[in-house]
Amino acid sequence: MKKIISVLFIFLTFLVNAQDNLLLLPGHNNEPIYVAYMFKGTKLINGQSVKLTDKGVLQFTIQHRFGALNSGFYNLFGLDDSQVRLGFDYGLKDWLSVGIGRSSTLKTIDINGKIRLKRQSKGNKIFPFTIAANTAVFVKQYKYADTQLESFLFTNQLSFSNQFLFARKINRNLTIQLSPTIVHYNLVESADESNDKFSFGIGARQKLTNHLSVNIECFPQLNDKENNNFFSLGFDIQTGGHVFQLHLSNSPAMIEPGFITKTTGNWLDGDIYFGFNVSRVFSILNK
Amino acid sequence: MMDSKIISLFFVFLGLNLHAQQFIGNNGIISFFSRAPLENISAINKKVVAAYDATTNDILFQLKIEHFNFHKTLMEEHFNENYLESDIYPNSTFTGKIIEKNNERVTVEGYLTIHGETNKIKVKGKLLENDNSIRINADFVVKLADYKVKIPKIVTYKIAKEIEVIVDIELKEIE
Repeated sequence: MKKIISVLFIFLTFLVNAQDNLLLLPGHNNEPIYVAYMFKGTKLINGQSVKLTDKGVLQFTIQHRFGALNSGFYNLFGLDDSQVRLGFDYGLKDWLSVGIGRSSTLKTIDINGKIRLKRQSKGNKIFPFTIAANTAVFVKQYKYADTQLESFLFTNQLSFSNQFLFARKINRNLTIQLSPTIVHYNLVESADESNDKFSFGIGARQKLTNHLSVNIECFPQLNDKENNNFFSLGFDIQTGGHVFQLHLSNSPAMIEPGFITKTTGNWLDGDIYFGFNVSRVFSILNK
Repeated sequence: MMDSKIISLFFVFLGLNLHAQQFIGNNGIISFFSRAPLENISAINKKVVAAYDATTNDILFQLKIEHFNFHKTLMEEHFNENYLESDIYPNSTFTGKIIEKNNERVTVEGYLTIHGETNKIKVKGKLLENDNSIRINADFVVKLADYKVKIPKIVTYKIAKEIEVIVDIELKEIE
């Protein structure tokens, strides 16, 4: 009788082992687990985030910045003034996207390329950050009359921004990003001013609910600081294919050569600009 | 006499198992469909793992939620991030037994885990036996409420409350 029981136990053990084996068999347990969905927008507020438009997806972005809140009722606290940037971004690959945009007041066209170099992952392969690089060129538009001037040089209209973006999702709600950035101006205002301006962007996104998050972003300047540092605070609201980003900042500019080194507004003086980014995605290619 | 019978019985079982009565599949397909007034949504997972033990009739499926492909990446994002919360519940599993077998028609009963919630289900399907492989086909309906998948009111006309699931998996004998 004892033997029967022991045999039964052996058999039971086998069964249990079989179940375990079955559970262990899955071939995809060795894959790294990528940490995804760090940011809702391809821009955190003004600066680029590590998020790229997905392959085959076209994103249309309308960005608006109103005037300063301290401009009084006569100016409806800034709402009378506005500048706009219209932009398109397209994902060529899951790791590569390109974009083009134009800002109204600065009359500047910008073209950028963003590449994702590495993704944060856990599981069998651990990597602590998602790393992306963004490069952009900015062309200030000119009138025909300007081109007739002897001093006119097309290259003087150009500025560039190059940045590395390191983002880490700390937990399922909080992501932080560091964005060391070089902005290069082909033409600066004085001879002793450096053409290259270094800054170290810091940003974070904290999810409050599945559809709402609060974001902050700042770009402390590291050399030749003549103006204020950019600082912004905002919310992301997501509804279906739209992302609404509402924010307050001390700069009305939406492009790196504008807001990183040429921010004149001071939060404490009330030079605060309300603005929003609205983006809509269209799937051009089905997966 | 008793001993030898038991031992032989044991060997029969062992022998059966040595003779590859276990089947494994790595590239099974599970797809699902949501039919709602405003939108039809489908997704497909082609990396489903399945195992079947013919001696015990144990059957097991496992898949990773993030392996579901949608035709729009944004749907995939919402599915993973908001609805199935695949960062917390990365896998979905079914463990059960074939309780009825009538030619190729089989009834399977077991536990389906999705979104961290487990429910007992009973599914009718087909089990086709070939030389060295078997093929399992089944379809059934999953109620989102049973698995605590919350759908916001704003998208109730876009996402069905009951999702049709289709299973198609080929399993090979373990040599």
